[in-house]
Amino acid sequence: MPRWAMVIDLDKCTGCGACMAACKMENNVAIVDSKEAQAGRALFWMDMITTYEGEYPTVAAKRMPKPCFQCDNPPCTKVCPVRATYRNNEGLVAQIYHRCIGCRYCMAACPFTTKVFNWYEPQWLEGANKCFNPDVSVRAVGVVEKCSFCAHRLQHVKEVADLEKRPLQDGEYVPACSEICPADAISFGDLENKDSAVYKLSRSYRASRVMEDLGVEPKVYYLSKRVS
Amino acid sequence: MPKSARTRNLIILSSVGTVLVVLFIVVRLYAGRGVVQPIAYNHRVHIENAGMQCTDCHVHAKDMASATVPSLEVCQNCHSAEPVSKSPEELKVLKYVADKKEIPWIRIYEVPEHVYFSHRRHVIGGKLECEACHGNMNEQTQPVTTAFLPVTMENCMNCHRQRKVSNDCLACHR
Ligand code: HEC
Ligand code: HEC
Ligand code: HEC
Ligand code: HEC
Ligand code: HEC
Repeated sequence: MPRWAMVIDLDKCTGCGACMAACKMENNVAIVDSKEAQAGRALFWMDMITTYEGEYPTVAAKRMPKPCFQCDNPPCTKVCPVRATYRNNEGLVAQIYHRCIGCRYCMAACPFTTKVFNWYEPQWLEGANKCFNPDVSVRAVGVVEKCSFCAHRLQHVKEVADLEKRPLQDGEYVPACSEICPADAISFGDLENKDSAVYKLSRSYRASRVMEDLGVEPKVYYLSKRVS
Repeated sequence: MPKSARTRNLIILSSVGTVLVVLFIVVRLYAGRGVVQPIAYNHRVHIENAGMQCTDCHVHAKDMASATVPSLEVCQNCHSAEPVSKSPEELKVLKYVADKKEIPWIRIYEVPEHVYFSHRRHVIGGKLECEACHGNMNEQTQPVTTAFLPVTMENCMNCHRQRKVSNDCLACHR
């Protein structure tokens, strides 16, 4: 069984935000009006955390793309009363929107605040509702959603590989953020495959995970020479 | 007397309620049967008499997710000027052809947008015959108005269980 994981190289990342935009388009993530977004209700599956270091005039901004960490020991799935969110045997933390009752326990349980709630009927840029990605369902008001590692892409590539009677190749299944990244900072693949790029990068001396001491075993690794 | 008036109201209300519930159930039961296709399309004559195969019309039944229902263009290959049968239904087809209007078929089998179903996966990968899910369409003389194997999660999962195929929610849901 594969175990899907992501490695984000912060030394390569320029903070351009292409991953956020690609993610929004790929996954039909709704746009929230600016007032509500300011109040913390913006919907992002791929978020960007910005922190500032130093005093004016020598300020440095640190940018950190933040998807769902797809934990191997996820706290969010344990509190779901209806099993709308669970970890599947390939390590993907699924969110089945039609099963979700909108209690938001999982949002409270997530230490990384990667889950978001649909407070309103989704709004779309003019014309955008005519160009949804048909591979991803449009969520209804009142359900929790989050980054899925573009699991719908796996449905397609798996079908092709199965029909051709061969295993999936490294790099065949990649989420939209990884595909778009102009700096090639986001790698994606199978941690169980010792030849995969993510396996090697995850063992780099630069690799670390967020809040490793919590024991939730995130499957998103960050690479950085900066000591944090 | 106010008390008896109240009981009378209660009786009226509850009988109206019962009638409504019964009506609702009847409507639900017959909803599927009420489908009227724009043309009484006959599968058998096309397969037996015209010698066609499923994929002549449902062109992507083996190589894509969606099998697709044929457009008027396909019918036009044989039904364009002179009728080839004595059927009044064929005249309706010719009318659509003359008006250059697509036939508004009503879809019977349909998965909701949050489910991924692929014909290629089942027909080629799973080596399933169309019959397994659609019944014997070779003998179908009436238009399709009810599903042979209704598209429900239970029906999908039952077959998957029997054939030891994944029933992980993420295999189907998206
Ligand atoms: C000459 C073209 C033609 C051929 C050949 C043909 N079909 Fe059809 N099929 C149609 C048309 C037109 C409809 C829509 C009308 C209807 O529902 O009866 C249809 C409808 C269907 C539907 C119902 C789709 C839905 O959701 O409403 C199924 C299932 C189907 N066909 C299966 C088959 C199978 C299996 C075969 C081969 C044994 C086959 N068809 C051969 C033209 C064709
Ligand atoms: C390959 C040629 C061919 C194509 C393509 C074709 N048909 Fe036919 N169709 C026939 C023939 C031949 C008959 C006469 C069959 C007979 O009566 O023996 C027929 C008969 C019919 C009839 C009358 C059937 C009856 O009840 O007796 C209808 C209605 C019809 N076709 C509709 C369609 C529609 C709708 C399409 C497009 C989806 C279509 N046909 C595509 C060859 C074709
Ligand atoms: C495992 C069950 C299964 C098998 C086998 C199967 N189908 Fe289907 N079929 C479905 C389901 C489910 C749908 C609804 C699909 C959707 O909404 O996308 C469907 C829809 C259709 C439709 C309506 C148009 C569409 O694609 O949505 C046609 C036509 C059709 N099937 C023809 C066929 C033919 C021809 C075959 C054999 C080559 C076949 N099917 C084999 C389950 C099956
Ligand atoms: C008659 C049996 C049957 C029915 C009914 C059926 N399936 Fe399947 N399904 C199969 C088989 C067999 C396979 C394995 C195909 C292969 O080996 O490539 C499969 C595979 C799949 C897969 C790929 C699973 C994986 O391992 O990733 C999906 C997704 C799927 N089916 C969805 C559906 C949906 C949705 C429905 C209901 C609308 C459905 N199936 C109904 C027999 C069925
Ligand atoms: C083999 C494919 C398949 C699998 C596996 C599957 N589902 Fe479904 N599911 C479907 C289909 C098809 C429908 C649509 C049924 C309908 O329209 O009646 C559906 C519908 C649903 C609905 C109802 C949506 C509504 O609008 O009412 C929920 C909730 C749901 N699924 C949850 C789950 C959960 C949770 C799992 C994992 C335990 C799961 N499903 C696994 C195929 C599947």
